[in-house]
Order: sequence, then structure tokens, then C-alpha cells
Amino acid sequence: MSTITLGHGSGGRQSREIVDILLDSFRRRGIGPEMEDAALLPGGFAMTTDGFTVSPRKFPGGDIGHLCVCGCVNDLAVRGAAPEFLGLGLIIEEGFPSGELLEYMESAAATCSELGMTLAAGDTKVVPSGAVDGVYFTGSAFGRIRRTLPLQMSNLRPEDVLIVTTSIGRHGAAIAAARFNLSVEGLLSDCAPLWPSLEPLLLLDGLRCMRDCTRGGLGTVLCEWAETTGLHLSIEEMRIPIDFSVRSVCDVLGFDPLYMACEGCAVIATAPSCAQEVIDTLRKSPLCGDAAIIGRITEGEPGGMVSMRTLIGGERLVDMPFGELLPRIC
Amino acid sequence: MIVLCLAVPYIIELIMDDNRATATSGAVRTEIRTDLIDSPSPGDTVLVHAGFAIEKLSPEDSEELFALWDEVRRLAGENVV
Amino acid sequence: MKSEGLPEKMSFDPAGAAKALQNIAPKSLSVMEVCGTHTVSIFRSGIRSLLPPGYRLVSGPGCPVCVTDQGEIDTALSLLETGAVLTAYGDMFRVPGASGSLSSKRGEGLDARVATSAMDALLLAEQKPDREVVFLAVGFETTAPATAAMILEARRRKIRNLSVLSFHKRTPPALELLASDQDLSLSGFLLPGHVSVILGHEPFRFLAEEKGIPAVIAGFEPDQILSGLIDLALQQRKGIAKLHSVYGRAVRPEGNPKAREIMDEVFENRSASWRGIGEIPSSGLALREEFAAFDAEKKFSLKPLPGKPHPGCRCGEILTGRITPPECPLFRTHCTPVSPVGPCMVSGEGTCGAYFRFFKTTGGIA
Repeated sequence: MSTITLGHGSGGRQSREIVDILLDSFRRRGIGPEMEDAALLPGGFAMTTDGFTVSPRKFPGGDIGHLCVCGCVNDLAVRGAAPEFLGLGLIIEEGFPSGELLEYMESAAATCSELGMTLAAGDTKVVPSGAVDGVYFTGSAFGRIRRTLPLQMSNLRPEDVLIVTTSIGRHGAAIAAARFNLSVEGLLSDCAPLWPSLEPLLLLDGLRCMRDCTRGGLGTVLCEWAETTGLHLSIEEMRIPIDFSVRSVCDVLGFDPLYMACEGCAVIATAPSCAQEVIDTLRKSPLCGDAAIIGRITEGEPGGMVSMRTLIGGERLVDMPFGELLPRIC
Repeated sequence: MIVLCLAVPYIIELIMDDNRATATSGAVRTEIRTDLIDSPSPGDTVLVHAGFAIEKLSPEDSEELFALWDEVRRLAGENVV
Repeated sequence: MKSEGLPEKMSFDPAGAAKALQNIAPKSLSVMEVCGTHTVSIFRSGIRSLLPPGYRLVSGPGCPVCVTDQGEIDTALSLLETGAVLTAYGDMFRVPGASGSLSSKRGEGLDARVATSAMDALLLAEQKPDREVVFLAVGFETTAPATAAMILEARRRKIRNLSVLSFHKRTPPALELLASDQDLSLSGFLLPGHVSVILGHEPFRFLAEEKGIPAVIAGFEPDQILSGLIDLALQQRKGIAKLHSVYGRAVRPEGNPKAREIMDEVFENRSASWRGIGEIPSSGLALREEFAAFDAEKKFSLKPLPGKPHPGCRCGEILTGRITPPECPLFRTHCTPVSPVGPCMVSGEGTCGAYFRFFKTTGGIA
């Protein structure tokens, strides 16, 4: 394709395809990245980087500053790394109110402080009016890996149990509601740092792999795991926790909750022997009280795909979403 | 997103004027147009499509539907011919 | 997954329904699911996997986006070039015309915006009195009354910078064409519940009474669809052909006369071109002369543009139930949701899009 489209940034199949193309220059030289949420570096550190263009910048449950920190922290956390150091880059539109910018910095600092994370590096650029919309944040985060056995997709195997840490789609629904001017009772983005909830799980040998659900939601993570490993993932619609407010927004706007963005929800794969312990531990954490087992990896067909037992007891496939579901969601 | 056959049940909360009402669908509260239905009242359940109420929903299914499902239950118990 | 929940009294029993269908269905039953939303719901709810092997579902032309002729898309795109703001339902954005799509034109900086209601266009026109706002009105009889009501409201408010490009189409003429087609031997029609909310039973009666094909009006929730599919199987077993409705909660036999009155006040019938099918007389809705001030075709002196669809595109055969998407040579190879050749792939209710997402050839769930 000759130009980049919004679909390429949507988090679904098109995003994967564009990333593959963009990484080609690096891969050909043997210096390309692993395709996990954060990279495990030699020397015991993990690293991630993330951009934030969310609109609106303030949404029910958070703002772009808080989101930036949480997004980076969660990418590290799912690879078993503690949030220690943050690098922050801001690209600011000429004329942007400093008061608003300070609010976002305050937000980001408060979140870092709660986690014991230090701002180690930063940069700001100001561009002429119209060159960006308001302000965009980029974050990079570093932290020590706190687990000897790496958490990675290649650990996944048949019989592994699939768990979500909380009800899905709250961030996407909150943004959609704000975009379409819907007033929704009780709807807040799930934007939150997951490190405190996930850290206790790192002691468990049977923990296989974790992934931060962001753009493209739960469905995208499961499809990526299935396609990368060639395994078959089987989930049950009835077991997926979805809040009433998220369901309502999806009903009204015609969205599928499976693909609604999350910003404080992880998918976890674990050996069957410690699945219950994972659930019990998660449920002790204030953010993961509704953690649930949603399915398992099986030896069955079709390999490389995700199937779901539906509410009425039928079966259907879950594919990657495509197109610009909701641009500037995170 | 926004598929063209999509119509969603809402409960009317407040009549704003001849053509507008506020209504709730689950946790969502929004303004809907009532130009296409007769005498909307608070408490009515209506089917909303593209921002317009297109019909009032009856609270119950029809007798024909109950009869159909009686037959389904009977047939589910039959032996395959 | 409606928040309203399943009706309790009915003791909806999908497993029982599946068993009953196994017991009822003869060797082969071929039902046309007219409406694209039925196609998607049937896949997404898992109903497909519960149907016995002899129960064949074919798609119909009930996807208003899919049947929008390519020339119609190109007309809409040409309006963007005039500097007008074009508002359209989200589903229209990726439909390919000859020179691009609403989405690609927006990417080039032209002003195309997603609307969730015709009222969005009216409100935009009020907010931007210095711009021409055009609403791209697509949809069948479920949607046309809303467009009509919006136009009446715009007239009441004396809005001058708003117009409507009407690609609204009528369902019964297309069904008449399909029901008369000797090559298609259909055992039944699953009729669109929400079109019926407006039209009632009368316009569909001919399918059973004149053409001898059983027909059922059904809503879109799984219990509704299963009820409809079972009713059709039962009719075939009993050798009868009637028009039934399982959607009595929403569909009155007389339909919604008020909505029809409003629709008829603003619109009149004219011939329309259905993508892949061709010209069907009296199947389109155009604004009446007295609403000329709101008619984008007149305001912008638009000439209908000829459609030049991709030669390999077989959307027409898909839309008339002659082939299923996997039988189209472009399916998955040249025609994918990312780069669609025809609208059946791109629309949220399009048959090819539904098959692409839910049906895989190797061991997939059909």
C-alpha cells in the first residue's frame, strides 16, 4: 500500500500487517524485536515504548497523562518486569494551554509516584498550530525483570487455562461514549497500572504468558496468540466478564465487546495446576475482583484460530478485527 | 459499527416535546426522536433505529410464538424419522 | 447480546431447538436470509453451528450498503470535491467507488463525517451555516422514515444549507424479482424484522400466497432467528406456504402507518439500480418535487454516474443467493476486508465480510 490509513493504527489485523512491513528493515539486518508487549534485554532489564494520541484527552476514569504511564507500566508488568524508570516525550501544539498540560503531568507524576517509578528522561517539542491535535505523549519504560523463566508466547501449550484479570472493554466503551455523546451511568475507563496485581503471580512456575489488552481488545490478543503459536484457543462467551454499562454502549453503537479497547486488563495463560491460585490471588487485588477463567488452549482444530462457545450453546470463530473501529482510542 | 438493520429497545424517561424524548437503553441515556410514533409516554419501551423510535414494543410475545415453542419442545423429544 | 435480555415466558431452549431442527428438517431446505444483519447474527450467535446439514442458508440483497450501486458511491464522492460536508452512516465509509471511498477521501483531507442519525446532518448544518451539508441517505424502509422526518424538521426550521442524497431503496420489488427467479429454488424466506416494523405484513404476503414460498418475519436476536428458521422448516414439513411472524412484539400486521405517512409525504418511488442486480423499477425512493430545496441531486445538478465494477466481482450473484462467498474466485485472494473489491466484503452486514470473519475453509465452523 502506498499510504498509511487509519485502519493501520486500529490495533487489528491491519496494524499487524503494517508493523511487519515497517520492521522489515530491522529484521533483514537481524536486529528486529520480539513481538511481545515489552522486550527482555540482556542484563536483566525489560523495555517498552508506546505512543498516546487519545481523544478526548480527559475521559471518564483518567486522562492522557495517567494513560501514558499505565500503558507503559502494563507492558512491562505482563513480561514480569517492575516499573522503575520512565522516559516521556511530548509533542505539543502551539497555543496549547499550559494549565491543561500541567494537569496531565500532575496525573502522570502521581501515577509514577504510587508505583515507585522515576522519571529518568524526557523531551518536549512544540509544533505550529495544526501540526498536531493538542498534545501527543510518548512513553518509554524500563524495569528489572523479576522472574527467572521468561513469560513468552512460546510457553503456551495445550491444556493451558486462559484468564482475564477484569471485565473487558471499559476503556473503549468510555471513549466511544465520549465520542458519540452518550451519557452512560457507571462507565469509567479501566485505565490502571497492573503491576501491583500481577507481581504476586510471578512466583508461580505454571505461569506461561501474559498480555496487556489494549487496542483491539481481548479478541485481538487471543487471535495473536493463536496465530503466532498455531494452537487452538477455545473460550466461552458466558464466562467473559463484561459490565452492564459496556454491554449497553456496544448494543447501542453496534460494537462487539470482544474488540473494545482495555487499558487495565491483562490476559493470562497458566498451567491448569495453578489456574485457581492465579484467580484467587488476582481477586484479592482491588482492580481484579472480577478476574475470570474464560477458556483454555486445546489440541483441537482449527489450529491457529480462536473458537468461542456462544451464549446459546453454538460455536463460532473469533477473528481479528479490521478497519478503524475507533481512531485515537489510546 | 452502526449497522443499518440495528434497532435497539429503549425505555422512555421524559417527553421533551412533540418530537423528542430522553430514553435509556441499559446504562445509556440519550435523546431520541419520536416523530415516527404516536403518543409516546414515560415508561414506554420503544424500538430505536438511527436515533428515531420506530415502534412501541409490546411487553409480551404473541400466542403464535408460544405455540411454536410448544411444538419445538414436542419435536425435540421425537425420534428421528 | 441485548441488555433487554431474553424473554422469560418463552423458555427459550436453543439445544432443544437444534434437536427439533434435526428432527424436522428434511434432506434439503434452502432458505434465503434476506437481511445482511440476519446473516451476521446467525454466524455470530453460533446458530450456524446448530443447524442440521440439510438446512442451507443463502444470502439475499437485504444489505442496503451492499446494494448501493458503484455509480451512486462515485456521485457521493464527487459531492465531496465541491467542498460540501458529507455525512453518512459509518458502514458506507469503506465501500469502494471508482476513485476511492469516503474513507480514502477523508484521508486526503476532504470533509466526510460519520453520522449515527439523520439528525446529525441537521445539527451540523445549523452549527455551520456557511457550509453546505449533505446527508447520504442509505437504507431500506426501516431507515427512510427517519430521513423523511429529518427533512420535515429541517423545513420547519428553515434550514437552507442542508440537502439529502437519497439512495434509499424498497424491499418488496427486490423480493418480487427473487421470488420469480426460476433458477433459485427457495424453500423459504427469513424476512427482515425491522423493515416489517414499518411495512407490516401486507407487502410480503405475495411470497406465500402467490409464489407459494413460506416466509417468516423475524427479529435479530438468536431466539427470534431460531424461531423463524424452525417455523420455515415446519411449514415445509407440513407442505404449506404462509406468511408468519415471530416478531409480534414489534411488528403489527398493519405496520407503522404514521412512519409510512411521513415517508410517503417526502418520498416517491422511482427506478433504482441495485448493485449486481441491475435496474429494478419502482424500487428506489426520491424526494418529491416540493422538497427540491433539500434534494442534493437538484441542488448540485448531479447526473447519475455509471457504475464500473471490477469485472471479477460477483457481489450480484452473492446478493441474489446464487453463490456463497467461498465460491467467488476473488474471495480472500483479491477481495478482503482490508482491500475490498465489492461492498459485500466491506459492509458490516455484508455476506462476504461475514463469511470472511466467521468461516474458515480448513476445519472452520460454517
